Amino acid sequence: MNTDRRRINGPSGGTSAPLFVQAVKDVGYLQSLRPERTRGPNELRTICKLLQTSIVPSASGSAYLEIPMSRSTTTPTTLIKPSSALKLVCSIQGPKPLPRSVPYSPSLVLTTTVKFAPFASRTRRGYIRDAVERDLGVHLETALRGVIIGERWPKSGVEVVVTVLEGDEDGWWGDDELGAKGGGWGVLNVLAGCITVSSAAIADAGIDCVDIVSGGVAAIIRNPGSKKGNEVVRVLDPCFADHKDIVAACAVGYLAGRDEITEAWTKGNVGARGNELMEGATHAAVGSLSVLKEALLEAVEAKYQGQATVGKLSAKKTETTEDVDMSG
Amino acid sequence: MPPSQPALVSLSPAELSYLRSTLAQRPPIRLDATKGPLDFRSMRAEHDVLPGTNGSARIALEDGTEALVGVKAAVEPSPLSAALWAGHEKLTVAAGVDTHRGADNLHSSTGRGRDAWVEMSVEIPGFRDDDALPVFLAAMLRETLLATGALTDRLHINRRFHWKLCIDILLLSPPLSYPLALLSMTTHLALLTTRLPALKSENDEDPMFDDDWDAAVALYPRSSAAVDGPPHTDKPPVIVLAMVVGENIIFDPCKEELAVADGVLAIACASAPSPSDGARLVGFRTVDPPSHLTPPGVPNAMNTATGGVAPASSADALTQRELLANSGVWRPPRGGIKRALLANMCDLATAKGGVAEELLSALQSIEVG
Repeated sequence: MNTDRRRINGPSGGTSAPLFVQAVKDVGYLQSLRPERTRGPNELRTICKLLQTSIVPSASGSAYLEIPMSRSTTTPTTLIKPSSALKLVCSIQGPKPLPRSVPYSPSLVLTTTVKFAPFASRTRRGYIRDAVERDLGVHLETALRGVIIGERWPKSGVEVVVTVLEGDEDGWWGDDELGAKGGGWGVLNVLAGCITVSSAAIADAGIDCVDIVSGGVAAIIRNPGSKKGNEVVRVLDPCFADHKDIVAACAVGYLAGRDEITEAWTKGNVGARGNELMEGATHAAVGSLSVLKEALLEAVEAKYQGQATVGKLSAKKTETTEDVDMSG
Repeated sequence: MPPSQPALVSLSPAELSYLRSTLAQRPPIRLDATKGPLDFRSMRAEHDVLPGTNGSARIALEDGTEALVGVKAAVEPSPLSAALWAGHEKLTVAAGVDTHRGADNLHSSTGRGRDAWVEMSVEIPGFRDDDALPVFLAAMLRETLLATGALTDRLHINRRFHWKLCIDILLLSPPLSYPLALLSMTTHLALLTTRLPALKSENDEDPMFDDDWDAAVALYPRSSAAVDGPPHTDKPPVIVLAMVVGENIIFDPCKEELAVADGVLAIACASAPSPSDGARLVGFRTVDPPSHLTPPGVPNAMNTATGGVAPASSADALTQRELLANSGVWRPPRGGIKRALLANMCDLATAKGGVAEELLSALQSIEVG
């Protein structure tokens, strides 16, 4: 049991959402707070303008991704947020030479780290990475390893560090005893976000890739509106707090240009619908790819516009302005 | 910062190139030439090897990898759930009106299990317990086991107590080939033979068990013996490993074959609800193939030792290398698995008379006798 002894930690059990008298007295009240999916089954959450590159100056490449909370149609009657958003920061160190003590490696040594911030979920996460975070790291590595052309950097290493500032939830907070450790459905959304954001950061760092990989999620849910209550539908980019009964879900890392999948991860009882699920996830991945491309294009434009204006100025003047910047 | 995984095979680029071209042929010639693409390696298996456990199994593959699994169960008090609390509160607040509805919901046969009731640990010699490989293996095995929720429902004793199942997986040999399939098969066999003491107490009493071990009930009851479970025979899932080389799909690759794989997929299958359906897919994950870490070959034309000319600049070297794509000089594979191939792999595994069904029936026959 590796516990963190160096810091003063909060209560290990975490805190739970407050239970008000109204929720106990009025049977239907708690259920009336349950959020519902207002998007169509094939509609994605908008991440336009919420993907940015080059935000960590000291890293060789970095990106920030935010998938906002799905908006509910009803006006909120409680202070508890109905669902959470997804906010990720990825920074990349390298490629840099490996230390001398490390044995020879003919290709780039990729290290991926996914860490939830202690405040990322409703229950607090520790500072030491737990099994879920390590597993996510392995998935991310699988997704990126096939994309990076590693043979071009022998004897070097690159570190991809993704920090989850706010993680997607496994389900609605009102449902009791959700996976308190957070190993449930929400990690699929986190993984898809991690793939997209690290792909943007890798492009920002200028590491050679065969294609841009992007992440997408699809889920099969039981439709509560159907007559018998057991009809299942496929939804793209699910927000797992919106759905009560989730049958299966799948996250993929998809290379649209090559029609290839570097990473596939399913959870739940897939049954005969595996292909349908994967197809849905790739559709969602194509959706995030369009935003990814846009963001990268903007970043490149901003970079070269800056160079062009610098070029127009006289060399002497640029030097003086740079000096002023450095001293200031 | 050491490499995440030590290089498992030491084959030269020429050997890798040769191996790949034989495997990419149609039909492929495998390393063990007597085997077809869908054939498994032979294994020795036994069950009930550990007397102190509720169920155990040991499987050794022909290449020497060997795994041992013990399943132990313990009674644990269930934390009072919020729904139950709400029921109690309602009793006091609303003066006993309609208190039974919540109780009825809790007594329904499905959905009362919790994922935390199954604990799994994987130990592999030479790896720390927080290394990537054991973490990944444990997560994959546990996830597939919990996918349908049928297992955790069976661990429910009453509203106050449940069984806690600890599955300890030990790889006795160094991980020569990727050990996921082996560990999964051993776990499957151990769970099939797991028996829990028969319950004597009723409803929400403190649980009392029959001390006669012969009366113990199997965790996965055989076909007709199912009492209150679903009518069909439910079996724990089993994971098969499949790899892609070119257009070929090869099941149960050995470590040398894995070293040239374009992509590797772990497919988890459970028995189908009706026996005419083959197997049921309960999940799949891609696995990072070790082929990405293999050293690229240097062609004679670029090697001064063989009369070639060394490239003038590094940019020149890059372009020359890229032109080598189909020349037969070894280059680590790039990209992932084609979407159609991935769907094909799942179909091959789960089809009627497919790989998974064959494996499941083979493991069942070990247990029967």
